Amino acid sequence: MNPQLIQLIMFYAFGAVAVGAALAVITLRNSVHAVLSLVLTFFSVACIWLLAEAEFLAIALIVVYVGAVMVLFLFVVMMLDIKMEQVREGFARYLPVGIIVALVMLAEMIGMIGVRAMGLHVMGEDPAAAAGLSNTAWLGHALYTQFLLPFEIAAIILTVGIVAAVALTLRHRGGVRHQSAAEQVAVDPRTRMRIVKMASETMPTETVPPVAPSQETSP
Amino acid sequence: MDLSLSVLITIALAPLVGALLAGLFGRVIGRVGSHCVTILGVGIACALSIHVLWQLVSGDAKNFNQDVYTWFQAGNLHVSVGFMVDRLTAMMMVVVTFVSLLVHVYTIGYMADDPGYQRFFSYISLFTFSMLMLVMSNNFMQLFFGWEAVGLVSYLLIGFWYKKPTAIYANLKAFVVNRVGDFGFLLGIAAVLYFLNTLDYATAFDSAGALTGRAITVVGGHAWPAATVIGVLLFIGAMGKSAQVPLHVWLPDSMEGPTPISALIHAATMVTAGIFMVARMSPLFEMSEGALSFILVIGATTALFTGLIGIVQNDIKRVIAYSTLSQLGYMTVALGVSAYSGAVFHLMTHAFFKALLFLGAGSVIIGMHHEQDMRYMGGLRKYMPVTWITMWIGSLALAGTPFFAGFYSKDAIIEAVGESHRWGAGYAYFCVMAGVFVTSLYSFRLLYMTFHGAERFTVVGHHGHGHAAHGHAAVVGGQSIHSDPGHDAHGHDAADEHKEDSHHTPGELEHAPSESPWVVTVPLILLAIPSLLIGFFTVGPMLYGGWFGKAIHVEEQNNVLGELARDFHGATAAALHGFIQLPFLLALAGFIVATVIYLFKPALADSIKRALHPIWRVLDKKYWVDEVYFAIFAKGGVKLGRAFWRGGDAAVIDGVLIDGSASLVERIASGGRRLQSGFLYHYAFAMILGLILLLGGYWLVGQG
Amino acid sequence: MPTFNDFLILLPEAYLTVAACVILLMDAFLKGGQRVAIHWLSIIVLLVGAWLVIDGQPATAVSGFSGMFIRDPVAEILKVFSLLTTALMFIYSRGYLRDRNINEGEYYALTLFAVIGIMVLVSAGSLVTVYLGLELLTLSSYALVALNRDSKLSSEAAIKYFVLGALASGMLLYGMSMIYGATHSLDLATILHVQNVEWRNLMLFGVVFAIVGIGFKLGAAPFHMWIPDVYQGAPTAVTIFIGTAQKIAAFGMAYRLLDSGLGAYAHEWRMMLAVLAVLSLAIGNLLAIVQTNLKRLLAYSTISHMGFLLLGLVEANPAGYSAAMFYAISYALTSAAAFGIILAMSRAGFECEEIDDFKGLNQRSPWFAFLMMLVMFSLAGVPPLFGFFGKLLVLQSAIDAGFLWLAVVGAVFAIIGLYYYLRVVKVMYFDAPVEGTDVRAQPDMPLRFVLSLNALALLALGIAWGPLFAWCQRAFGITA
Repeated sequence: MNPQLIQLIMFYAFGAVAVGAALAVITLRNSVHAVLSLVLTFFSVACIWLLAEAEFLAIALIVVYVGAVMVLFLFVVMMLDIKMEQVREGFARYLPVGIIVALVMLAEMIGMIGVRAMGLHVMGEDPAAAAGLSNTAWLGHALYTQFLLPFEIAAIILTVGIVAAVALTLRHRGGVRHQSAAEQVAVDPRTRMRIVKMASETMPTETVPPVAPSQETSP
Repeated sequence: MDLSLSVLITIALAPLVGALLAGLFGRVIGRVGSHCVTILGVGIACALSIHVLWQLVSGDAKNFNQDVYTWFQAGNLHVSVGFMVDRLTAMMMVVVTFVSLLVHVYTIGYMADDPGYQRFFSYISLFTFSMLMLVMSNNFMQLFFGWEAVGLVSYLLIGFWYKKPTAIYANLKAFVVNRVGDFGFLLGIAAVLYFLNTLDYATAFDSAGALTGRAITVVGGHAWPAATVIGVLLFIGAMGKSAQVPLHVWLPDSMEGPTPISALIHAATMVTAGIFMVARMSPLFEMSEGALSFILVIGATTALFTGLIGIVQNDIKRVIAYSTLSQLGYMTVALGVSAYSGAVFHLMTHAFFKALLFLGAGSVIIGMHHEQDMRYMGGLRKYMPVTWITMWIGSLALAGTPFFAGFYSKDAIIEAVGESHRWGAGYAYFCVMAGVFVTSLYSFRLLYMTFHGAERFTVVGHHGHGHAAHGHAAVVGGQSIHSDPGHDAHGHDAADEHKEDSHHTPGELEHAPSESPWVVTVPLILLAIPSLLIGFFTVGPMLYGGWFGKAIHVEEQNNVLGELARDFHGATAAALHGFIQLPFLLALAGFIVATVIYLFKPALADSIKRALHPIWRVLDKKYWVDEVYFAIFAKGGVKLGRAFWRGGDAAVIDGVLIDGSASLVERIASGGRRLQSGFLYHYAFAMILGLILLLGGYWLVGQG
Repeated sequence: MPTFNDFLILLPEAYLTVAACVILLMDAFLKGGQRVAIHWLSIIVLLVGAWLVIDGQPATAVSGFSGMFIRDPVAEILKVFSLLTTALMFIYSRGYLRDRNINEGEYYALTLFAVIGIMVLVSAGSLVTVYLGLELLTLSSYALVALNRDSKLSSEAAIKYFVLGALASGMLLYGMSMIYGATHSLDLATILHVQNVEWRNLMLFGVVFAIVGIGFKLGAAPFHMWIPDVYQGAPTAVTIFIGTAQKIAAFGMAYRLLDSGLGAYAHEWRMMLAVLAVLSLAIGNLLAIVQTNLKRLLAYSTISHMGFLLLGLVEANPAGYSAAMFYAISYALTSAAAFGIILAMSRAGFECEEIDDFKGLNQRSPWFAFLMMLVMFSLAGVPPLFGFFGKLLVLQSAIDAGFLWLAVVGAVFAIIGLYYYLRVVKVMYFDAPVEGTDVRAQPDMPLRFVLSLNALALLALGIAWGPLFAWCQRAFGITA
């Protein structure tokens, strides 16, 4: 079979799955199912990217989003035990308005842009191929030369993300007992045990006379 | 050697720096620090002003006219900050800074116990700065800003004791009345810009000739000469600021402010800004006989009729306030007959002797422990000799006694009016002549009631020095003492409440009156000297010698002072001649009448009052001007009156604004508020709707 | 290949990044009383940053990183004023943060990162830098808004801000992808010169989405809904940032995207901005009238001010941009003082943000009442304060642009706006204080001093506004 045809069939197939899964994300009642549908969407998109010979992005999408982000998401959703019924109250009520707005939007978009195939030629030749490099190698080159500044800014954004996450969640509460490994390791016997010298025990005396308070008052 | 820009800037800014230091850091630098910095600032300005005047008089320096800073330029509208300094300006600068300096010193004594001490010094320095910017300006815009700034400080100071309802009322009244004048003034400036296309003095004056033949249709098809429109509108501004009839009503009430302010702002400087302005704009006013006649009639009316009110006042400051109104009327009359130099000359002499009178009155008020009602005074000359003598000098100058400063200026005005053939000059001549008698009458009445005759107060405190109990039920000055409760509220110039509390019984003092401290008396003496001498030394050059040069422009056919100059043979001769002239005789008549009634036969006053009761009532009610204003400008004067009394609070702001168009706005707003529901999806929905709106707008109309 | 010169251009931003990291580390290691050093260091960092911006300013525009980063006089002015207003905000905020137990170190570090975002945004020469600068700015802002974790309002505001911000940023990105699709370039200068009639509609489609992004950032109606809730909910020490430096940044973003990139479509987007301007003026001014909370009132006032700012942008030429920039600066400085006064009056357990709290302020703190009066008059545009000239200039530029009707609408709403600003003044001077309250300024001398300077500067700059405006004009190549 014509490899181009196979590519086309694959494209539509993955595209259809992606769109279907995306619809499922917003319509499924069970939130765990919704998250899993999102995973499917990402996966299908990654496949489409593979078709477009963007291997690095495809793998990154699967590793980062599917592998890490979505799993975390799943944990959160499972832990939070969201009552979907509550969240979805009013869904039916607002649905008609939503649909109308969406339709108007669609009409406007089609009206303005129309449906026209832009084709691959619009974007010109694949720069990676032109440079004789693999997609990943070319991406690396581009990121560290031409796109160095955006790359660094993105790094700052990630730093901000971490700082923000810590700032919003880390809380030193008083009265909470927690384990400090560092302190446990750094224990010195001298701080834990005190040897006290005492006089040898004698027989208990009969009665102890009360101490006169005069000691305190004398300067 | 030309005038240096840096010197002029220093003159203007030194008081501002003092004001800022005292105002912003008053608490840090303390009372002594505050009055030191402000006095230093004004002192520098005064010394440099005298230097500048000297340079100009000695011919060392040419007139100065330069822009300092361009504020903005929009089309042909060029607005800048600049200085125009010629002899007229320099003279004003010296008068302003000199009086201000003395008032600063005087204030140390007068406001000694006031909690707002630093604030007060800050305000008066700020005033000095504003006034200097006004007189030194070289363009209409800066003039207007200076005009507004002195007005602002004046309101602040009238309402200085903001806990006193009468002060707040007076404050508001001054504000409202001045707005009327300012509106005219602003229209006048707009007219200047419209016809002459510039706001710069020099350019405007040079092109003033272009006004001839131009006209504007204001109302109903009748075309007005442009020069008359400009002149009248600008003069309406002067009427507000210089308190001319019918916009005079705020000045007497402004006496609610502390006395140093009455001396500085409401007698010597700010109120003369209108006179100065007209003199400065003489090239424009010369273009219009009509405007000058208007000025003449207004001025003459003010001169006579406000003076009459002064005769029946009992509050010592109010007498002087009405006297100020009357003297301002004289100046305005001089402007009206094109004797601008005469007006400015009278402005100068008046600044000295009227500041002296006010400060003297202040000294009396200190001595009387903040009692202002003359009916509870009398015989003070024993206790306050310096004040007594200086007040006499001031009053003699005011009444126009030959050789005193006031004689030269006033006499010149009267004669100039006599020479003039302008429409209204006859009426004006009668008014100023009669005014001389009136002036003399109220001046000496004040002196007698305050310093001479029986003591009408009792000392009830522990310091009774024996010369106390003369009884306080005497009937003096045309009114019985205990019948005027409303006056009591006006009568107190108290700095704070405890002083007012100490005065529940009028006429009773805790301590015997005593002479004021040196910070008060020294300014009095320093002001008494020019009140005596300045006229004698300056009348020749200033009035008849063309001293002002090109600063004042008079058309040949209007030059009444030039006519008079031919008969002028030196100051001594003029004074000697003055003794046999009608004005002096009238003044003498006033003096004699006052002496008879108030010194020798106090009971006569009451019988005269009874005999002439209708006239007395007209004067006591000040021709019902206030009442008429209330009735006209608010449907039902009571309502507005009450609103004013309440500080314009609820009634004006809430009542007028909310019940008016704003209620519509508010209804729309509360409808719109419902959109801001707090729900996230509403917000997001609004955004998407906005997007659709923009896209749709494009799709439908933007496909170009 | 980026060269050393590229990094030299980036010096102020690089310096700030390092400084922000240092402050973050200091926060981790300093204890107790030493932490005050973080406060002063942050302020010094900003001032040195401003100095670096001015000092290293090349005479003409230079760009680095293949045109992604532009350093020109426009960026210079915007950066200097962002840094200065942020420094003001740090000075005003210290007591507030301390009293509310908000972690200072993170506040300073996140704000510095946000400022870096602003600097990247206003210097952006490419769609990528626009977007990344914007994201850096907004991400830091979301966290800042939520920083007061003990306040439900604060968290709610942060969520709203975050969700709507994400929506707006998504739309902007969508628009950018359309623009990229139509022009095959991310570089704004290239986009400006692409002549392709074929994809004109696609381009316009992108322009609309870009305007949504800009409108959101400015807070122009109908993309304004987040403003009141966020202004009110965010800690005041953060609101001041959203109300000052961010508005300058929003102007920078609008200028970069619309003029540097989409200038060829000015005829179309001018109309859109005019619509946004009218909506903002109407909604901002009308809804401000019914507010009882001062922060909310200022929020609606912001919306109306952004309407005025748009009046300058609709002229779409250097004269209009310089007027709009002047307006953004005047608004930022005025609003800094307004929030500064709220901060100065608040103390532990008491947020001085209801208009009623200001009743009778004149009797308690006459000086602060006076400052507040200056601020309100400047916001209202009363001459001769700073705000007046901003309004005058943008109205002038709207008239020059042929939008006379727009200028009339602006003038009418300026007069309506006068009402609610004057209400605050009236409450301070004529109403009696509420019994049992004691609203006074914090005894924090640096705050009082700088706040006084800030408010008096409104008067000073109103009188001597010429040099600043000339600077703005020069930045856009107008030589007066």
